[in-house]
Amino acid sequence: MALCEAEKTFVLHGVEENFRIDGREREDYRPMELETSIVSHAFGSARLRLANTDVLVAVKIEVDIPFPEKPNEGKIEFFVDCSANATPDFEGRGGEDLAIELSNSLSTAYQSSRAFDLSKLCILKGRKCWKIYVDILLLECGGNLFDAVSLAVKAALWNAQLPLVKSVHVDGNNIEMDVSEELYDCQKLDIKNAPVMVTVCKIGDYCIVDPNQAEEKCSVGSIVVAVSGDRLSTVLQTGAGSLHPTTLVESMKLGHTVGQRLNQALWEALQQIPEDQDVGFLK
Amino acid sequence: MAVEYKTLHPQKYYNYYLANNIRPDGREFDKYRPIVLNVNSVETADGSAICKIGQTTVICGIKAEFCRPKAETPNEGFIVPNLELPPLCSPKFKPGPPSDQAQVLSQLIADIIKNSNCVDLKDLCLHPDKLAWCLFIDFICLDFDGAIIDACIIALMGALKTVTLPTVDYDAALDNKLVNIEERHPLKIYSTPVSTTYIIFDDKYILTDPTVEEENLCSGLVTIVLNADEVCCVHKPGGTALNEGQLFDCIQKSKKRSKYINELIVSAVKALN
Amino acid sequence: MTIDHKRINGPEETIPYELFQKLNTKSLTTQFNECSKDGIRKDKRKTDEHRKIFITTGVVSQAKGSSYIELGNTKVIVSVFDPREIPNRTDYSLKGEIDCEFKFAPFSCPKRKLQQQDSEEKHYSAIMKQALESAVCRHEFPNFQVDIYALVLHNGGSALSAAIIAAGLALSHAGVPMYDLITSVTLGLQNGEKLVDLTLEEETLCLSPIADSKSHGIVVLSLLSTHEQVSQFFQTGNLTLEDVVECTHLLTKACKDIVPLIQKTLAKHVVKNVKESI
Repeated sequence: MALCEAEKTFVLHGVEENFRIDGREREDYRPMELETSIVSHAFGSARLRLANTDVLVAVKIEVDIPFPEKPNEGKIEFFVDCSANATPDFEGRGGEDLAIELSNSLSTAYQSSRAFDLSKLCILKGRKCWKIYVDILLLECGGNLFDAVSLAVKAALWNAQLPLVKSVHVDGNNIEMDVSEELYDCQKLDIKNAPVMVTVCKIGDYCIVDPNQAEEKCSVGSIVVAVSGDRLSTVLQTGAGSLHPTTLVESMKLGHTVGQRLNQALWEALQQIPEDQDVGFLK
Repeated sequence: MAVEYKTLHPQKYYNYYLANNIRPDGREFDKYRPIVLNVNSVETADGSAICKIGQTTVICGIKAEFCRPKAETPNEGFIVPNLELPPLCSPKFKPGPPSDQAQVLSQLIADIIKNSNCVDLKDLCLHPDKLAWCLFIDFICLDFDGAIIDACIIALMGALKTVTLPTVDYDAALDNKLVNIEERHPLKIYSTPVSTTYIIFDDKYILTDPTVEEENLCSGLVTIVLNADEVCCVHKPGGTALNEGQLFDCIQKSKKRSKYINELIVSAVKALN
Repeated sequence: MTIDHKRINGPEETIPYELFQKLNTKSLTTQFNECSKDGIRKDKRKTDEHRKIFITTGVVSQAKGSSYIELGNTKVIVSVFDPREIPNRTDYSLKGEIDCEFKFAPFSCPKRKLQQQDSEEKHYSAIMKQALESAVCRHEFPNFQVDIYALVLHNGGSALSAAIIAAGLALSHAGVPMYDLITSVTLGLQNGEKLVDLTLEEETLCLSPIADSKSHGIVVLSLLSTHEQVSQFFQTGNLTLEDVVECTHLLTKACKDIVPLIQKTLAKHVVKNVKESI
């Protein structure tokens, strides 16, 4: 998407007047739609549509061996697939850098045990653990990918059902696991503090959240703030451009407040989803 | 003016110098560049060395890990040497898997280690068929300015002589290992191979210890590896043929250098203690 | 495990021996207290004190620009090459590109690294690129790309910051037009203590929360000091907003502390060049 100077000025003036091109104020989000449990083969899934941005997340869980240096912890891995459907820019290997950036930001945001406790995924110390694969598919890009992806990931993890292990037998080098045969016998993951990311864009002298593609083009610098509960789990700068330390601090403050609000909204939305009729990992 | 002439007619430029029995960098044909060897500078490795020959720089780091011996050789450990020629060291190299040159050189180093018997693989075995050491020897070229293999072998010997391995209490019945990190013992080194590279320039001149410029223009290259006074390996990848006399001459020169480099390695390792 | 046919392969499964040493029974809290007590750290530094820095230019003769930095034990070498046309690109780009490759040498870390870049190294490459992009006048070389290669020879903590400082210097050594000098510092938080310029041990201790600590984490900040612009900011862990804000101030100051050293190194290089040309 290319913008001419006049268009850029128009966007800039809108931000200055606190009346953006689509009628929002600086701290407003675009409408969102969230669906969960839509991929029947996955352990948990969610699809989030934020105006034109469309993200599908599926969670798969497998049994694995813990890292030797972290025998008490399970594993979580993020993989982002930038489908060429999303934007022509992703054709060939065009989306690779973005995909790496997104998955790296997610793994650093989930790194702290305060944000997501991997020790709960351990089945038998040093021998067996759960490994969670989070596959993220970008279906359409309409700006603000970080926010949309992090919300969808959190919803998919909330939706995920961890099979219940009834007992573990150790016999020399062999380990046998007894998984509950009851379809509905599942655990939920604790995602209360799973981080939610907010992209804060600086346009002119002001900071905005949830930029659309036109606004992203006008931005002189942006940061992504991952909020976990009332804490920050990751802050990173994206795109080219630099910021003055004061601007940086201000954008972090804005990201922090908006992130908490967003987290609250997501939590309320998730509570509204009725306890599933047909839950179970063998569905 | 000289610079322009050199870029336009490098071959002729060199020939003018060589006809007067001198090389463009001021060395005579059989003179070496200065060598700097620094051992054990990387604490995270179990043994390490940096070798500089003129501008050519190679760092060698050795890391030991546990493994199970192969079924056919139950009382031997492993040595896994690999040379990286990263894009960092020269514009010639591009990122990606190792180039042909790096693969050839890695294999050559592996052959030299094997042929010279500098390390006895049996020393690396901790318990037959159960537990052995695997020494990962990684070479990284930091500055690619000719005679890379010579620098690698000097760095290799420097690093091997500083390798210390922790003592291990192994209970074979229970497969329990207990490592005492503090109590370390050096690895036994049985010999010190030394490699010297020569190039054949314009089919008639033989130059010792070439720079990368000379290597690019030369018509043939030969690397002679000596183990004390014995020839351990000769590597001559094509190019102009050498006659018996010339080869013999090169070996004689290498002998002298071998002594000097042996002393250099010994003094570098001694300085450490 | 996939076999790499282009390298010499070892046995299929190898395990680092460090895992079998006598277990360190000390709790994380005591370990951290050993590292930092009453504002004095294990290596006798104050909490806001840098390690000794050695930095020099022109270490790789074949490269256009190069530099070598030692931050305490951390050793990083960086080289920069002549701009080349952006590969696999059909459209014209108005601004030049920067391509960074950050790599740990296989023996540089306590755990052996593989020769291929892993995701951590790719992440660090991206952060480096981000930090350097706003320091370089990219409009001066449209449609061209400058390659920067950083290799960590010994990771003694704060390797990313060291690589960014060295890359900034290598770029100026290569004569790439730049807006400003770039410096970078890593800071760690644990149990209310803020430690500037982390060693590897401190880095590991700051990554996971200890018992009842309020916040923990690592912050890396790169600064263009003359223009007072933060070109890159990266934080991980679990921190309160106040912590992060305070870290930003501490780091801006710490970054400025290094600037004179970089200026001196550049001046030395210029003087040497002038002397040689006379």
